[in-house]
Amino acid sequence: MYKEEENSKPEFMKRPGINPFRTPDGYFDSIEDRIMKEIQLTEKKKPTSSKIFRILKPAFGIAASLTLVYFLATYPFSKNTINTKVSSTYSAPIKADSSLNFLLIDESTLVNAIFSDEKSPVADINPDEMLAYLSSGLNEVEIYSEIQN
Amino acid sequence: MTNDQQILDCLKDPSTKELAFRHLISKYKERLYWHIRKIVLNHDDTDDVLQNTFIKIWNGLDSFRAESSLFTWLYRIATNESITFLNQRKRKMMSSLTDENEYLVNNLESDTYFDGDQWQMLLQKAIAILPDKQRIVFNMKYFDEIKYGEMSEILETSVGALKASYHHAVKKVEEYVKSHETRFEP
Repeated sequence: MYKEEENSKPEFMKRPGINPFRTPDGYFDSIEDRIMKEIQLTEKKKPTSSKIFRILKPAFGIAASLTLVYFLATYPFSKNTINTKVSSTYSAPIKADSSLNFLLIDESTLVNAIFSDEKSPVADINPDEMLAYLSSGLNEVEIYSEIQN
Repeated sequence: MTNDQQILDCLKDPSTKELAFRHLISKYKERLYWHIRKIVLNHDDTDDVLQNTFIKIWNGLDSFRAESSLFTWLYRIATNESITFLNQRKRKMMSSLTDENEYLVNNLESDTYFDGDQWQMLLQKAIAILPDKQRIVFNMKYFDEIKYGEMSEILETSVGALKASYHHAVKKVEEYVKSHETRFEP
């Protein structure tokens, strides 16, 4: 039975399994010191906060997820806010524009300014200049403001 | 402090931890070295993996459960470290290699600490081209004569699967040796 099993073994297995490798001389002598030194080095390299971070890691994860969800949920609204901000930014110079002084002028002053007998500042204007003004695309309010200035 | 249980007890005590770990290294350094060496083949690579293995063991001491024996746990870490190392190397070298096992054959041929004859080199080449799992099982069985039960615990694989792996490995090695043996025979 044993012989039969031996014969059925592949040829290479009939030879003993010898380890053909070797190590440099004295390799195993200093291994403990080298490894302990390396361990001490890695222990020193470890940041002190790593343990705290490991404990708080799940909390950081949840906080990050909640922040992400918050931003995703509020993004469409914040877009409107941006639009509002943009429009208010654009409106600022308009408010500062002198053309809006017109709004502060009451109607009678305006009528008097146009139809009064006083020599109108417009009278000094050359017809060509007037034509240029009219063709410049300014509206009445803007023309009035220009004249007033 | 020669007994595993004594070492484990001393490892739990901060005042004796370092000394106990030195004992652990002394007791298992050679067995782990040869286990790793048969997987990665080259001495310098083995030295790196062995060092990383002991560092992993040191860092993982708190997670060791007495469900498995110390020897099994150490072997498992060494095996995983070796496979991780090989996979990293293979990935790095993949662009210049046609076959991923070519890395191991090159490693074997360039190893200055190989004392075997032509036939042993042929056998090692045949083993080197086996898939990782089959190679590890073959080495553990053929060279180290580790029992399937123990191997099953180390590799976390069923005995049946290990037997099948070993059987396939033997067939492949036999075929390789047969087809290449005549080349160097006088």
